[in-house]
Amino acid sequence: MRTRKTRRDSLTAYLFLAPALLGLVFLTILPILGVIAISLTKWTGLEPPTWIGMGNYEQIFTGDFYFAHSIAATLYFALGAVISGIVYSFCVALMLNQKIPARGFWRSVFFLPYVVPAIGTSIVWSWMYEANFGVFNYALHFLGIHKVQWLQNEKFAVPSIILMTVWGVGSLIVIFLAGLQNVPKSYLEAVDIDGGNAWHKFRHVTFPMMTPIIFFNFLMSMIANLQVFVPAYALTQGGPSDRTLFMVYLIFREGFLRNNFGHASALSLIFFVFIAALTAAIFSTSRKWIFYEGA
Amino acid sequence: MKHGTHLTNTAISILVSLIGLAVLFPFFWMVRSSLMSNIEIYKYPPFLFPQSWRFENYPVTLRTFPFIRYILNTLTITVPSIFGTLLTSSIAAYAFARLDFPLKKPLFTLVIGSMLMPSAVTIIPIFVAWSSIGLSNSYLPLIVPAFLGGGAFNIFLVRQFLMTIPRDLDEAATIDGASHPRILFRVLAPLIKPVLISVGLFAFIVYWNDVMGPLIYVSRTEMSTISQGLANFRSGFGVDWKAIMAACTVAISPCVALYFIGQKYFIEGIVLSGLKA
Repeated sequence: MRTRKTRRDSLTAYLFLAPALLGLVFLTILPILGVIAISLTKWTGLEPPTWIGMGNYEQIFTGDFYFAHSIAATLYFALGAVISGIVYSFCVALMLNQKIPARGFWRSVFFLPYVVPAIGTSIVWSWMYEANFGVFNYALHFLGIHKVQWLQNEKFAVPSIILMTVWGVGSLIVIFLAGLQNVPKSYLEAVDIDGGNAWHKFRHVTFPMMTPIIFFNFLMSMIANLQVFVPAYALTQGGPSDRTLFMVYLIFREGFLRNNFGHASALSLIFFVFIAALTAAIFSTSRKWIFYEGA
Repeated sequence: MKHGTHLTNTAISILVSLIGLAVLFPFFWMVRSSLMSNIEIYKYPPFLFPQSWRFENYPVTLRTFPFIRYILNTLTITVPSIFGTLLTSSIAAYAFARLDFPLKKPLFTLVIGSMLMPSAVTIIPIFVAWSSIGLSNSYLPLIVPAFLGGGAFNIFLVRQFLMTIPRDLDEAATIDGASHPRILFRVLAPLIKPVLISVGLFAFIVYWNDVMGPLIYVSRTEMSTISQGLANFRSGFGVDWKAIMAACTVAISPCVALYFIGQKYFIEGIVLSGLKA
């Protein structure tokens, strides 16, 4: 009886898992093998691929500067967006955690940019960044500063995209806020009893209790921002002078605009290793600064 | 002491309101610009509000921006994808949360691990595979993945939620002779409704706002999704900013409306994904 039930359970389980496992095979495992194989060929998709061994990798690392520019642009953007995004969303969450009027309303406002189409918001921002009639340059003019070509200027393109990205980090605020509401009241009261002030509460209770959530948000937004694509596609096409030639945009450009499947596959694989290594590095530092309750 | 806290709270509410208004500003600027004439929009210094509200910008814009067509195209992708995501992620989650079977642990690790795979890494071989069976210029490559597990993240989310439901209910149903599908769809589904709504809403947002997928697989203009249509409209209309802003307003509005209706579930979904990981 027992074994028959177990067997029936296993059968059901595999049936229920069949779609997900097919997905695992066809959308992850086989494509990984595929990307490795294609990366060793020269292939435009029209004629049959020709085997060139490590040729694409050689070209990427020694041939052109696109890859180096792309790694630099991606890291600069991701670090900037993650750090400013975390600081901004943590501060807003701390403020929203106070007893202030219309808290729920403001929380919805901060979250709103996250749910609307990124293409739409990118275009709206590009209008605000517009050099001659944009509202940002008007603000500068008002302060007596010269106009800036926000998205066309080598120095300002990435910071402009970072500002736009930070504007959209509503989900981080919501997660931080939920975490703050879980900080035990008794711990905070204990600080009161010991005669501590708001800073002591933050320094010795709230912040340590929040480190696991800060870590989670840091990791997740790092992984997400390393894959930035829409601003480069919609606003800058990788320019000016490759300053916004982010990795995913470079892969897209090589693969689908220039039909270099082999070259784009090699880039994809390097990108994968790059993200995996960075994730592992972030994890390895986590033990040092994360506070686990009861650990 | 009490007075001090009161003052700080007032300062904080003012600060939150200021930052909140700054966050709303791009939306305001979009709508405001969409209602202006060409002369007004290029006035320097700019007006905060239009001098004359030109609502006729909208019908004029919609004549060249086939909004309804794009919406219907996007729904053709989004609706089946939401269905596929909900169905296949919840059955997989049920298997991981409730059933014992050989290789459960390694399979779980593999499925969840696939979540960390950046989608850009596999776009080339997946495109090559679809084009080798002649389907690379269709909606299928955008819809089928939703029916193959609906994303590891959703499986994880539903599983986490299922783990919090006591097993007594399933056991009672089993004794009554209920099959597994019956337990999942009749007994548990009503209890996990909040997470299913969250997963559905986020699937909507993901598919509705997708940029890369349609870019690769949809090349005919009449098949464009709303994001794609907007991007093409933008490049086609260069500097007609009032028309571009009208098109943006029209494209963004459905998401804003849905957000305010389903707000509670959006927030819950985000909290769930962040705190139970």
